[in-house]
Amino acid sequence: MPDSSHEPSKNIDLRKTYDAIVIGSGAAGGMAAYVLTSHGLKVLLLEAGRKLPIEKELKSMEWPYDHPRRGDMPPDRRALTPAEYNIRKPPYAAGTKYNHVYSYVQNWDGPDYSKNIVVDEKDHPYTGTNFAWVRARTFGGKTTIWGRLALRLSDYDFKAASRDGYGENWPISYADIEPYYDRVDDYLGISGIKENLPYLPDSRFQRPNKLTSAEMMLRRSLEKRGRLLTPYRAGVTTDGLKHNKYRSKCFGRGACNRRVGGCDIHAVFDSPTGLIYPAWDTGNLTVRTDATVYEITVDKDTGKASGVSFIDSETRKTYHAKAKAVVLGASTLESARLMLLSKSPQHPNGIGNSSGHVGHNFCEHVMGPEITGIVKDRVGAPRTLDDGRPGGFYLPRFRNLTDRSDFIRGYGFEGEAGMTMFPGHADSTPGFGAAFKKRVRDYAGAYINMGGFGEVLARYENHIDLDPEVKDRWGIPVIRFHIAFGDNERKMCDDMTESAKEMFEEAGIEIVSVKREMLTPGWSIHELGTARMGSDRKTSVVNQFQQSHDVKNLFVVDGSTHVSAANQNPTWTIMALCWRSCDYLADRMQKGEM
Amino acid sequence: MERRELFRVTAGAAVAAKLAGAQAHKFFSDDEFKMTDELTEMIIPADDKSGGARAAQVAAYLDFRLSEAFEPQVRDQWREGLKSIDALSTELNGHAFLAATPEQRIALMTRLSEKNDEFFRVLKEATIRAYYTSKIGIHDDLDYKGNVYQRGDYAGELP
Repeated sequence: MPDSSHEPSKNIDLRKTYDAIVIGSGAAGGMAAYVLTSHGLKVLLLEAGRKLPIEKELKSMEWPYDHPRRGDMPPDRRALTPAEYNIRKPPYAAGTKYNHVYSYVQNWDGPDYSKNIVVDEKDHPYTGTNFAWVRARTFGGKTTIWGRLALRLSDYDFKAASRDGYGENWPISYADIEPYYDRVDDYLGISGIKENLPYLPDSRFQRPNKLTSAEMMLRRSLEKRGRLLTPYRAGVTTDGLKHNKYRSKCFGRGACNRRVGGCDIHAVFDSPTGLIYPAWDTGNLTVRTDATVYEITVDKDTGKASGVSFIDSETRKTYHAKAKAVVLGASTLESARLMLLSKSPQHPNGIGNSSGHVGHNFCEHVMGPEITGIVKDRVGAPRTLDDGRPGGFYLPRFRNLTDRSDFIRGYGFEGEAGMTMFPGHADSTPGFGAAFKKRVRDYAGAYINMGGFGEVLARYENHIDLDPEVKDRWGIPVIRFHIAFGDNERKMCDDMTESAKEMFEEAGIEIVSVKREMLTPGWSIHELGTARMGSDRKTSVVNQFQQSHDVKNLFVVDGSTHVSAANQNPTWTIMALCWRSCDYLADRMQKGEM
Repeated sequence: MERRELFRVTAGAAVAAKLAGAQAHKFFSDDEFKMTDELTEMIIPADDKSGGARAAQVAAYLDFRLSEAFEPQVRDQWREGLKSIDALSTELNGHAFLAATPEQRIALMTRLSEKNDEFFRVLKEATIRAYYTSKIGIHDDLDYKGNVYQRGDYAGELP
C-alpha cells in the first residue's frame, strides 16, 4: 500500500535545535526515530540516499516473462562476480567501462528490481584488503532487501568470553535485553515455532511457515543426534499487525526469497513502513533524504556533539543541523567512518575515539561451506508450492555448547528444500533433448541445500581506517579495510563442511555438491563491532546504553556496538538494543541530563 | 530516464520488427536465427508435456539480448560459435548444419555435449535461462504453483 503522505522535503527547518538527530534510516535509525518520537522528542532523521517509490521498484509479483530482460538489469550495468572479490583489490569498480557497477548481491535473481536500492560501486569506492561490502543507500537502508532471519542472542553469546576465555563479555546479559526482544517481536511481527533452546531463545512468534516434506525428513533424522531444524524465524508478520496500517500480513507470494529481498506489501519488516511512518505520524519527526552526513560537529566549550554537517547528495550543497543529542545508525562501517571523520581539537582521533577502538574489533559471520543434495522420494513427485515462504529452515548451532571442538564458538545453517520457480539444477543436468528436459522436470523440487554462517572472532587488528587519498563521489575520504580471517574461522569452516556432509548422509540424502571454501570477508552482510560496547572506556567505545564514553550526547545504535558477532543474524538484536538505548536517552533528556 | 529511453527504443524496435515481418532480427542474420532456433529446440524440444524452445520463442529472446549486449565479445562468441558448428557439420557430414539430416544434427550435438564444448555450454545455459523464464517453461512444463497470493492453508507440514 503506497502512501503519499510520507514524502520527505528538502526544505526543512535548520534554524531550530532538534532534540535528536538520527543518522541513517535502516533498522537502527528507524528504530531510534520510532522510540524517540514515541517519547515526544523532536527528531530529525537524515538519510544519505533517496526515497524510492519502493513498491514500483520491487514489483514483487512480476513474472520473469513480463519483464523485457526476464529480471536482468539493462546492459550497461553489471554486478561483481564472486571471483573478482579475491583476484582483484578494491576499489572493484575502478577502470570499468560499465556505467554502473554493483556488489555481488545484484547477481541474485531479478537484479533489475534492486538496482536502485544498492549503491553504485563507482560512486562509493573503498580500498585495502579484499572485502565484499554490500550497501543500500536508500530510505530504509538494507531493510528494504534484508534476508529476514530474525534470531535472538543468549547468554551463551553475551557471556561467551567467560565460557571459553576469548575476547570480552558484553556489558549486558540476556535478562537486560529480553524485554526489548519481546517488544520488537510484538511491534514488528516474527514467524517461527517455539523450540525451548537455551542458546537460541524463542521469540513471541506469529504463525510459523511450514516445512517441506524433505525438510521434515531432515528434521526427524537430526533428532536422533539431538540436533534441530526449525522453520525459518522470519522477521515477517504472518498474522498481520493491528497497530500498523502500512503493512499487510504475508500471503506466501515468495518474491522476498526468490530475489535479493524486498516485499511490496511490507509483510517483511522494513524500516520505513515498520518504524518510520509510525514515527512520522506522531508529528515529531522530520525526515531529510539525500543528506550525506560527513561530520558530527562539536561544541567548542563542552566537547559535546552539537549537530551534524551534511551534503546534499544531489546538489552538493552543504548544511548544518543542530541537536541536543546525535544518534548514529548509519550501518556498522559507515558509523565508524563518520566517527573517524569527525576530528576536532577536543577529539583529535575522531569523536568518541579516546580509546582508539573506533574501527577496530570488527567481527561478522563467515560463509562459504554449502551442501546440496537430492531427496530420492521427491524425484517425480507431484508438484507442491514450496517457495512462497520467506525462508526455508534454520539449523541452529550445536558446537561448543557442552562439548569442545578444535575451534571456539559456533555456526548455524540456513537452507531450504523444494520446488522453485527457476530450476537451478538445469545447468548441471547433463545432455540435451527430450531426456534432458524430462530429467529437469522430474528433479525439480527434489533438491535440498544449506549453507553455514559462523562466528568470526572479534580481533583488534581486524579494523578499518580512512584512506588518506581516495575519496567518494562527494569528496569524503573512504574506508580502507585491514581485515582477514584467522585460524579459528578456517577450522570452523572445515568442521561446517564435514558436519553438513555427515548430517545429509545420515538422512539418506544423495549429496551432489559440496562447497568448502570460505567466501570473501563481508559476504554475510553482517558487519559488526567497530564501535563496541563495554564498561571499560579504555577498551570500548560506548557503554551498555550505546552512549559514547567520551561524548555523553552521542549514541551509536547500529551493529557497530556488538562486542562479539555470535552466529545469529544480527538485525533483531540491533533493534532490541537500540530500543533499550533510546528509552534510556529519552529518560535522561527528560531529566535534563543531556 | 536512461531506462525509459532504453525501453522506448526497445518498444520501437519491436513495432518495427512486426511491420517488417519475420525477417527483421536485431542481431542474428536470417540463417543464424534459423540455426539458433533449431539448436535451442534440440536442447529443449517439444514433448507430450509441453512446447519446447521454439514455441517459447527462445531464439527471438536471445536475438534481443545479444543485440544490446554491452560487451562486443559476447556477440562475437555467438557468431563464431554458430560458425564453428557449421564448420564441424561440414567436416562430419559434408554440408552445413541446417542442411544436415536430423540424425546428423543429433550426432553432432551429442559430440559437442560429450566433450563439454564451450559454445555448447553457452548455448545450453542461454536456452535454459530463456526457456525456464518463459510462460511455457514455468507453467506448462514445470507446473510451477507459486507466485500467487496463498489465502487458504499453505502447503507443507508443521513439526
